[in-house]
Parts: sequence; C-alpha cells; structure tokens
Amino acid sequence: MSVEATVPRDPGRGMSGVIESFRSSFGPTEALAPMALILLIAVAGIAEPSVLSVSGITLLLSSAIPLVFAALAQMCIITLGDIDLGTGYFIGLVSAVVAVHLNDSPWIAVAILLGLVALYAGAGALVQLRQIPALIVTLGASFIWLGLGLSILPTPGGTVPGWLVTVMTVNTPVIPYPVIVAALAGGLAYVLLIRTPYSAVLRGAGSNPDAVRRAGWSLVRVRMTAYGLAAVFGILGGLALAGITSSGDTQASANYTLLAIASTILGGGRFTGGRAVPFGAVIGALAISVAGSMLALIGVSSNFQTGVQGLILITVLAGRIVTDRSRS
Amino acid sequence: MTADAVLAPGSRRAVSREWLAGHRWIWVYLSAFLTWVAISVANGRADAEVIAAVFSLAPFLVLVGIGQMFVITLGDGHTDLTVPNVVSLSAFVATGAMYGADGSIARGLMLALAAGVAAAALSTIVIVGLRVPSMVATLAVGMIVQSATTETASRFAASPDPDLATFTHLRIGPISVLGVICVLIALGFGFVLHRMVYGRMAQAIGQSKAAAELAGVPVGRVVLTTYVISGCLAALAGALLGAFASPSLAIGEPYLLNSIAVVVLGGSLISGGRSNLPGIWGSAMFLLLLTTLLNTLSVGVATQYVIKGVLIILVLALMGAKKDR
Repeated sequence: MSVEATVPRDPGRGMSGVIESFRSSFGPTEALAPMALILLIAVAGIAEPSVLSVSGITLLLSSAIPLVFAALAQMCIITLGDIDLGTGYFIGLVSAVVAVHLNDSPWIAVAILLGLVALYAGAGALVQLRQIPALIVTLGASFIWLGLGLSILPTPGGTVPGWLVTVMTVNTPVIPYPVIVAALAGGLAYVLLIRTPYSAVLRGAGSNPDAVRRAGWSLVRVRMTAYGLAAVFGILGGLALAGITSSGDTQASANYTLLAIASTILGGGRFTGGRAVPFGAVIGALAISVAGSMLALIGVSSNFQTGVQGLILITVLAGRIVTDRSRS
Repeated sequence: MTADAVLAPGSRRAVSREWLAGHRWIWVYLSAFLTWVAISVANGRADAEVIAAVFSLAPFLVLVGIGQMFVITLGDGHTDLTVPNVVSLSAFVATGAMYGADGSIARGLMLALAAGVAAAALSTIVIVGLRVPSMVATLAVGMIVQSATTETASRFAASPDPDLATFTHLRIGPISVLGVICVLIALGFGFVLHRMVYGRMAQAIGQSKAAAELAGVPVGRVVLTTYVISGCLAALAGALLGAFASPSLAIGEPYLLNSIAVVVLGGSLISGGRSNLPGIWGSAMFLLLLTTLLNTLSVGVATQYVIKGVLIILVLALMGAKKDR
C-alpha cells in the first residue's frame, strides 16, 4: 500500500494546491481510463465521423451520465474498503420517486429522498456497529430498494417534471453538455472526498481503520458520512436517469451496480480502500459506457456487444499489470 | 464483570456457546422452522406438503449456492458473478442438445458442463494471470457469457426433453428425487471441503493467502479448481432448470444475489476461510419457505422484496457475523 494512502497529505491552499494534489495522485494507473476513453471515442469517430462534433459527443456521452453518478456513489463506499451491491436498484428507486412525486408534490419527493439518505447512513452505521460485511448489508438493502421502487411505481412510466428533462438535455456550444456535467460531478466528489478536512479521516479509515479510531475519530460517524454521500450521488444519478429517459423505472438501472464497481476499479480505485478516485471513476464510467455505444457504431451485432464490452474491460484492466509494475 | 469472565472455559454453557459458534447454520434452520410454523398457523393446519414442495424447488439454488460458497471460501473478495449467465447459457445449450431425433441427455449435460468449465477457465486466467480483482473479472467474463447466451437464444428452437423434465419433477411418495440427489451432492462437497487436500487448501487460502503460499499451496491451481466447481454446478443447475421450467434469457438472473445470500445466511464467512455445507440447504429452504409464507399471506411481490431484504440484514445482525479480521 502506498504511503500517500495511509498518511493523508495537506495538499495546500489555492490553485497551486489543487494542481499539486492532482499531480501527485495521477500516475500510470490513473492514465489507463482516460487513454481507453480517448481510444474508444477515436474508433467511434473513424467509424462515424459525425461523432467527432459537439452534437456527436453530446449524443455519445449523454446516456453515460447516470452511470457517472452511480460510479461516484460506489466510489464513496469503495474508498472505505466496502462494496455496495445496491447502487443500481437505488438509482432506479430514486427515478421512480422522481417520476411519481416530484411533479405533483415536490415536498413529498424531497422528504422521501431525505429519508433514503438517512436509511443509507443507517446501513453504514449497522455495518460498523454489528461488524457485518458491507457486501451483505447492501445486498439486503438492494432488495429493499427494488421492493420500495416497485411499490411506488409498479410499471415503468410516470411524469418527470419538465424542468428536469430540460436540465438534462441542454445543448451547449463548444464544450459538449455531458462533458460539463461529468466534470462538475467529478469536481463535487473531488471537493467532498479529497479537499475537505474530514475527507482525510474518511480515506484514512479506508486504509487503516484502527489508526483512525485510536486518533479519536468515530468509525460509526465515518461510515455514516460515506454511505450518506453515496446516497447523495445515487440520488443525483436517479435524477439524471429520470431526466434523460423522461420516465421512472426501478429495474432499468439494475446493471449499474456492477458497472459502477468496474468503473471505479478502472479509474484507479482499489477494493482494499483508502483511495478516493473521483475523476478516475467519472472517466471509467464514461469509457465503459462509450465502449457499448462504439460497438453499435462500428456495426457489431447487438448480440455480441455486451461480450465485447467485457473483453474491452479485461483488456484495459490487464494494462494494470504493466502500470503497477512501473509504479513499484 | 462480563459474561465471558463468568464462564469458565470448561463449563457447560461455555461448551454450548463454542458449539454454537462452530455451527452457526443452526440459526437458519431455526428461521426456516419458524417460517414453516407461521405458514401452518396461516393455513390453520400443520402441512408437511409445504416442506416437500420447497424441498423439490430448492435443489437449483442449492447447487449454485454450493459453487458460490467454494469461491467465497477463497476470501480476498472472491465472488463468482458469472453464475447467473452460466445458468442461463447452460439452460439453452443443454435443452438444445437434448432436443430432436439425434438429441441426447448425456450430450446436453456434457455441453452445459463444458460451458461452465470454459467460463471458469476464463475467469481464472483473468484473475490469476492478469491480476484483476475477482468481482470485476467475473463481471467481465459474465458479460462475455451473456453474449454467448443471447446468440444461442436467437437461433434457439427446442423444447425441454420430456424424460429429463419428468425426472426433475419426480417424487417418491412426497420426497423429491432431485432433492435427495442434491443432499448427497452437498454431503459429497462437504467431504471435499473438510476432508480432502484441495478443500483444506482452499480454506487455507481464505484464512491467509500469504501463509498458504509460504506453506506451498499451489494457489493458481486451487483457484482454478474452485471456479471450475462453481462453473460446473451453475451449469448443472442451468441444464436441470432448462428441463424443469423452460429456457429463457432471464432464467439465471435471481441466482446472482440469492447465491450470495444463501452462503452468508448459512453462516459461512463472507471474508472466506470458513464455510459450511448444511447452511446452504438451510438457507435455500428458509428463503423458499419465506416466499411461500408471503404468498400464503397474499403479500405483493414488491413488499416481498422489502421483507426479504430486511430479514437478510436482520438475521445477519442477530447472528453477529464477525468480519474475522
């Protein structure tokens, strides 16, 4: 385990601090996801040149935004060394809440969403207090999210408020809109998980919980914070999903759970915890999502798209053997 | 004074507590029994047929669960996420090969097992050779298997083999034959896990990979064997399920989360190194009895999910599953 993971650095104040913390946390492992993303977009561009325009990139990346938030939610949990098996259904549940309540009775929707954040934080507290593996608590929670979602919205549909659809489908000149949203999402996670003073405690709890506990921090509070943050990103993901598809669907996002785990690992995260990789997770999610659309553009039969997506994932992660060696 | 201090090591209560710690699967059998009592109360009579029915449905989940348990025994986050896809693929492959004039049950089973072994070999190459974490590696391999399934399904035109279908439903008196066979299979794998060198090695890796390596355990080979066991059992479950019901793309889906759930509810440590077979059967029966109870009370599907989720968390919280770090 690297030293910078166990001893939280003070990146310093101001812009120079941002650049410094970025430089020291960006190695060959972190370069894998961006390289894969650029390569995938290039291949898509060769197959269909119109992709390489602002509107082309917008089209290519817009469907990736919910997965970006899912990856950030998952990253909050993976930073602690835990895994969340409920991300996908949670995002689906949020989209159901949005589609059923946000338009007609926004306050009920807000109350439900706040309740969900509290439930997530409670799950974190339970993991810590009873020493139950997070994998199982979140597995149980995933059934709860699915059940709640189906009882709120039994079949896909509902009414998504017009403003949300507008917010998610803006067209911007020069810089494609999804790139702006992804950058803002990554920036938010960067501020919350790397720049705030408490985030050092949080990352420290991921790599060395005993040391953090002995230093007088409450691990229960740490877990509640991380899980609560995961819920916030999950809610943003649900809002994005509802806005893009202009409907609610509890089950449509089921595969986000595992894809979000893969995005975080692709972006440089580690299952052992202690490493927060906000921009890595964002770019990892974009790459995984683009891999799917790229295959459609180059004419791979839809039956094989998922399989080739899996192969691409393996190939990119295999690059880690090389980059890990060069690091050590 | 704590309760532990009061108990002298040799006292009867200390012994029984130690016994309970080693037999944590007792709880899930107790839960299953209480669920059956609840069903009986709801029905107004003690109904053994409920147990017989659940016993005939459980084998599929038990087979997949045993495989998942072996993988989880390896520790270090090892989890086989390919199982739902292997179940679906083998349901199609086996049913297809058994159909028609030149179809044969043996060839169907062999092809299904070959699919399971192929998935397992690929997973192992990615995990051991490319050093990709198990959960991501098996997710990616699962995606490849899923493509194979959609491709097979798109040119699929067969119906389940009538003989095998009859066999999967066959009962002697109230007792399901397939259920009995799966009890024997579970006993066999219990022997493999606790008495054979391979099983001991798998547990050793789960307890401490570094120590196992130093002790000369061939980690790569044991990992391969473990994933092959999981792949073959998922394939067998899929082939049987294809005959029991009929193949569909989503037929394997429930086995992803449920296979992990039965392992952990059964008292095996999710962190690996300590697993038990009786717990798999107990948890599979418990989950199916729970579904029966909720159906008896005409609870809707949505609410059933919520109750199931709460119970999984509750049982674990009460059992006080230690992370065993």
